[in-house]
Amino acid sequence: MSARTEKSPKRAGASARFQGPLLRVEELCLHFHASYGVVRAVEGVDFELARGQTVAVLGESGCGKTSLARAILRLLPRNIARYSGKVFLEGTDIMKLSEERFRHDIRWNKISMVSQSAMNSLNPVLKVGYQVAEPLLLNHMGKDQAFERARQVFGIVGVPPAFLDRYAFELSGGMRQRAIIAMALIADPVMVILDEPTSALDVLTQANIMNALKRIKQELNLNFMLITHDIATSSELADEVLCMYAGQLVEHSKAERFYREPLHPYAQKLMASVPTLRVDKKPEFITGQPPSLFNPPEGCRFAPRCHKRFDRCQEEPPLFVHGDETVKCWLYENR
Amino acid sequence: MGKTFARLGRYALFRAAFLLLAVVVALYLTVIIANMGGEMDRVRKAEIRFAVGQMVYQDPANRGLPASELERQVEELMQFEYRRLGLDKPFFPDRSLRYLWQALSLRFGRAEFMNSDAGSKQVRSILLERLPSTLVLFATAELILFLLALFVALFLSRRYGSVLDRAIVALAPSSAAPGWFYGIFLILIFAAALRVLPWGGMVSLPPPKEPLDYALSLMRHMILPVSAIVIGAIFASIYSWRTFFLIYSSEDYVELAKAKGLSSQAVERRYILRPTLPPIITTFLLTVITMWMGQIVLEYVFKWPGIGQLYFQATSVGDTPVIVGVIVLYGYLLAASVYVLDFVYAIVDPRVRVGVGGR
Amino acid sequence: MGKLWAWLKIKELRRYPSLAAGVILVFLFVVLSLYAVVSIPYSEAVRLWRGGPGVWDDYPRNAEPVWFDLFTRDQLSRTIVVPFGAGLKTEEPLANGMKRVETLLPFSFEYDTFPVELSMFTLTTEVTNATVSWHTPDGRIITLIEGRRLNRGRTTYYISQDELLKNQLEGMAPHRGLFADPEDRGKPLRGEYQLVVEAELGDADELDAKLVVYGQIHGLGGTDHNKRDLMVALLWGAPVGLMFGILAAIGAQVSTFVLAGVGTWLGGKIDRVFQWVTQVNLILPVLPILIMIGHFYSRSIWTMLGLVIALNVFSAAMLTYRSMFLQLKESAYIEAAQAYGAGDARIIFRYLLPKLAPTLLPQFVLVVPSFVFLEATLSVLGLGDPILPTWGKIINDAYTQGALYKGLYYWIVQPAALLMLMGVGFALIGFSLDRIFNPRLRTV
Repeated sequence: MSARTEKSPKRAGASARFQGPLLRVEELCLHFHASYGVVRAVEGVDFELARGQTVAVLGESGCGKTSLARAILRLLPRNIARYSGKVFLEGTDIMKLSEERFRHDIRWNKISMVSQSAMNSLNPVLKVGYQVAEPLLLNHMGKDQAFERARQVFGIVGVPPAFLDRYAFELSGGMRQRAIIAMALIADPVMVILDEPTSALDVLTQANIMNALKRIKQELNLNFMLITHDIATSSELADEVLCMYAGQLVEHSKAERFYREPLHPYAQKLMASVPTLRVDKKPEFITGQPPSLFNPPEGCRFAPRCHKRFDRCQEEPPLFVHGDETVKCWLYENR
Repeated sequence: MGKTFARLGRYALFRAAFLLLAVVVALYLTVIIANMGGEMDRVRKAEIRFAVGQMVYQDPANRGLPASELERQVEELMQFEYRRLGLDKPFFPDRSLRYLWQALSLRFGRAEFMNSDAGSKQVRSILLERLPSTLVLFATAELILFLLALFVALFLSRRYGSVLDRAIVALAPSSAAPGWFYGIFLILIFAAALRVLPWGGMVSLPPPKEPLDYALSLMRHMILPVSAIVIGAIFASIYSWRTFFLIYSSEDYVELAKAKGLSSQAVERRYILRPTLPPIITTFLLTVITMWMGQIVLEYVFKWPGIGQLYFQATSVGDTPVIVGVIVLYGYLLAASVYVLDFVYAIVDPRVRVGVGGR
Repeated sequence: MGKLWAWLKIKELRRYPSLAAGVILVFLFVVLSLYAVVSIPYSEAVRLWRGGPGVWDDYPRNAEPVWFDLFTRDQLSRTIVVPFGAGLKTEEPLANGMKRVETLLPFSFEYDTFPVELSMFTLTTEVTNATVSWHTPDGRIITLIEGRRLNRGRTTYYISQDELLKNQLEGMAPHRGLFADPEDRGKPLRGEYQLVVEAELGDADELDAKLVVYGQIHGLGGTDHNKRDLMVALLWGAPVGLMFGILAAIGAQVSTFVLAGVGTWLGGKIDRVFQWVTQVNLILPVLPILIMIGHFYSRSIWTMLGLVIALNVFSAAMLTYRSMFLQLKESAYIEAAQAYGAGDARIIFRYLLPKLAPTLLPQFVLVVPSFVFLEATLSVLGLGDPILPTWGKIINDAYTQGALYKGLYYWIVQPAALLMLMGVGFALIGFSLDRIFNPRLRTV
């Protein structure tokens, strides 16, 4: 009901300042220590995102999607081994910022996150409204103003304002997820990362949440980064797709292209495995297992399972540009 | 906010009723045990005899009567009293319930052998005289224990695997030994060998007149017993609470709090400490109950004039009314401790207030 | 399953040195207990500890342990016994049909500190008068008693308490004065001493004498105020403590565990009743009640054990187990068991309990020290088993005899240290097991 019709001054001002891509990631690496060695969770990821685009990050479990999000938001685990690369947000390399500045300027104010399992994302002993308003209170906004804004975002996500005064255990699963989304929106970020926002919910609630996200996307013109392994539902929101495999980015295409005719062999197999409603097709599967991120093989990491591999694949391919898309596959060399 | 108060109030009431019921049952059991050998009956009858005897021998109308006549009167009146007070009825349920009621309402009658320092033989006075000493010692020790353990545990949870952390983990088994045990060693070192602190007792003798001097003397005498109590429980408490903190700091909402841009102090305070308080309070309650039990021996070792030592003295001379009185008092004290901590728990954990009576 | 266990244990043992340390400690105490029970059988231990006439006569009072000698330059005095029959007897027939009997009790004193007591025991078949004299190594002869009447049978002459003798020795207590070096009265004279007993007896009568020079140090553990060798109680404290601790732990914890499983599974009224009983038990003042019962009725260790178990079945651990069982109750394989028609008993005993039994182990081990100390607590308060020698008993004796005031630290420290080590041994194992078996802790 309380739809926001005018753009916030922050965003209006921001778009006046910087005309380039909202987000540009260069050679992002995230490795961490495990008891048996070093796990190379994110390896040399490169991509660019224009303003207002929703990108879906697809891939199997363990391919590095969540680690990518963590790397962008600098939510690093205790056992970090390597963290390098460049992340340009609106032209500024945020990797260079100190911890304090990053926490103050970037986290939540520019990029916010909706994490997996909202069941546990809310502090059980604090009131929901307080937690939602907390990012604003941190920025020294007055209490009344902050709670008013909380009421607003609750309206956007579709949760009755009465629940501001409740505790997490009094909300249903779907409502909790919406509250988390509201929390992500409250500080007016330019980008929201959603990590498996609906995987823990039942199908009906999933649909509701997806609709809410669609609506928010339209009203607010934000960037969403939707990390998920649920290919089908991601197609409703995505403008672009980042496909990850074994810690690497293997394809970055526009959504229409990806969901119909992806370029990378892995992506092709992935789409072939998704059952479709209208077209009669037999879902396929990919043989073998994804490689361990602990000791990935030399050369193209998908080669052992690729149905289109050839000799060149013994060497690791770079990211080739193919029209509007980028692909990490020798098949697209020199094009 | 008003809703919170209402919920808390309801919870407080329910818990009070529940605990009272538990106290009743506990005391009933005590009464039964105490009277298994006929002790309470004997005491009661002796009391009646005393009261009746007083009445008869001091009645001016009886002056001049021969002893045998007076004795006969006493006997008669005693029998009358027995019947009146229902002492000729069976133990279950009549007499036991009577005793129970007496116990609950803190009417313990007169001590058999002991006196309060002020000279009263009323058990209630004796108890009340000694109670503050115990409370002072106990409350101080528990407060120090709680705050110290909390602070150090929180500190350690940030430094997992550090030398200090591993040292605490290694020291945790030291709490296998109770406080009084360490008390003996402390006395040995500081009072006997080094002679810097007093052997025992609450204040120096004679007690100082000036309030400031009294307070200082009191504090000086409290150092060793409080230290003993704290040492006996601190390492295991730090260890278990720091483990709680470690476990709870890997919760998703902590991640999210960090992602939201909260400072690490704010995260620690609101997202790690607050949600972890409920289990901490639960384990602390158990520690407190164990400490209450150990208090008896501790007061014995340090000759601290509290109800623990009173109990010990009473059992040495076999003063049944005092014995029963102390046990009843203990029952109430324990119930009070449970109640207070339950209440704190309810303040800290909103989940409890909603489902009243359940946890 | 067995292989998994072995693999688990070896790998984990290396990572947990405290576990190894605990196991070693407990093992040592088990060995100690076995030794105690074998070398001093139960009835013997009770008899010794009860004491009484004749049992500890030859032992010094409040003697320090012999290993104190290692820490002093002086040679601390030890007990010397010249037993009956060891003396040299000479008989001289007299005119009136009697005989004069002279018994010579020689001994060698090679210590640098004085003995703490001196006593002579005589055994005669008939009443007689005796004269006792003391021969020092440097040739002096001191008459101790002259013409003292000895009764038939056994008589004890407490030389060190003889006031007249003390005056004779310039105010020095006899056990010191008789040994004092005339040139340096603060030190004893080393050398060969003799005690000579002369008496006139009838021809058919006999007289024998025994001398005991009580040393400053005695035994591995020292002695107490009743001259009892503390080693008896120090040794026996181990099996008593172990037995009490383990039996109480088994009785209480296992019962709690089983009842928690039963209650949680059957749910409804039974579950509520159990919970409620636990709450009541929580505020029941256990120790005071134990003391009261010990005082009014019986202090036998078996009574106490039974009571301790009974009062600890519905302990707080019940609630912990209950929450674990509640979680387990919802799991799929329980549902499957129900589906194939398994009865309640089967589900409880075949599925629920075994699944959580591993978590029982660390709790069980951790609770043993508290019971060991509970038994010690009761003993320290004077309410321990009246006939058993236990560590708590020693501490009780020591404390009531003012050991700390008198500087007899070994009396308290030895049993206390043993108690501590036993408790710590179990605690080390328990804590390590807790870290191994508690799944939540592994993610940390």
